[in-house]
Amino acid sequence: MTIALEELLKLSAEEIWARNERPTAQQLRDKQQTFYEDIDEGMELPKYIYRPTPTHLFRWSAAIENFHRIHYDLDFGLNHDKNPSILVHGSWKQSVVPQYLKDWTLPKGWPWKAQFEHRAMLVPGDVLIMWGRVTGKQEKGGMGLIDLEIGMKTHDGIESMPGSATVVLPLKGGPDIPYPFVPPKD
Amino acid sequence: MTQQTQTALTPEVKAMIGVTGDVVEAWGVVDAEYLRRFTQAVMDPDPRYWDQEFAKTTPYGEIITPPIMVSYMASRIRPDQEDPITKAFEEDPMSDGIGRVSRPGSLPRVPTNLIRVLNAGNELEIYKYPSIGDKVFSQHKYSDIRERVGRDGSPFLIVTTETTYKNQKDELLCITRASSIRR
Repeated sequence: MTIALEELLKLSAEEIWARNERPTAQQLRDKQQTFYEDIDEGMELPKYIYRPTPTHLFRWSAAIENFHRIHYDLDFGLNHDKNPSILVHGSWKQSVVPQYLKDWTLPKGWPWKAQFEHRAMLVPGDVLIMWGRVTGKQEKGGMGLIDLEIGMKTHDGIESMPGSATVVLPLKGGPDIPYPFVPPKD
Repeated sequence: MTQQTQTALTPEVKAMIGVTGDVVEAWGVVDAEYLRRFTQAVMDPDPRYWDQEFAKTTPYGEIITPPIMVSYMASRIRPDQEDPITKAFEEDPMSDGIGRVSRPGSLPRVPTNLIRVLNAGNELEIYKYPSIGDKVFSQHKYSDIRERVGRDGSPFLIVTTETTYKNQKDELLCITRASSIRR
């Protein structure tokens, strides 16, 4: 059972880091299906905790060939763009979202869609909490659609990425979710 | 007497809504080494990305790749073009490393004097995980441009670029929408 976001935010950064629920490879391999019927409004998803360092930022810049200096050139960030430090990439946060939704819907669900805003500058030293909460559910076309509120908060409670998502979970005894995914018809 | 604020949403700016770029084939194909670097950088240890035997037992029947990994492949700088990084710094030694670096399939600039660009948000729609060996084809479009007024009364623009990603079989992989603020 995941700790409630509200309770997590009462903890220190170190204590939050200790509550990290990012799954291991083995946990992802063994993941059992969550079904539509298992979900209630208000349920919270596991909390993925990240503690990005300059090296993590550099690795991400290199992996996606993003050469924007604000992410790796501290002198440029401080003195040219007047940022508080080098900045965590919006593109990295954007890539965590489908991972988070994939993991929750595995092995047979589908991380259909998400939208989110970028609001706060995140810097090395921040402890980041990827979180999600069920806001609604409906059955459509033999699929279980789950609406989520999602975000990425800093350890001191600043929401850096408010957003929402819709994922698909199978119904107990229902058909497989089509792959490639075909949205249910209205 | 109230002062009339000049609109940022000029007819020239409005005319950019719906402007669509060329379909661009990304350099290279989806490959296991790029997949390794990407998933390590995003910190996703999922064996569906690297354990072939296990992947065969999943509903996908093969190794999968993160859905929006292809969006970064699509913006790769091609080796058969002039190096835009070197060019950007020749033109401006204080280049931020991104502003003057042109990427394949880039849309024409929105004709506005609002030059400060901030990332406002993203939308993702995911339909299929790209497969190892896939070629990736992308196409950008200005899907929306709206005007808002800031707290200081100055108008600014929110420009949304929609990008569609398909593979060599014309299968839809994902659609992204990136909104940026132009102040």
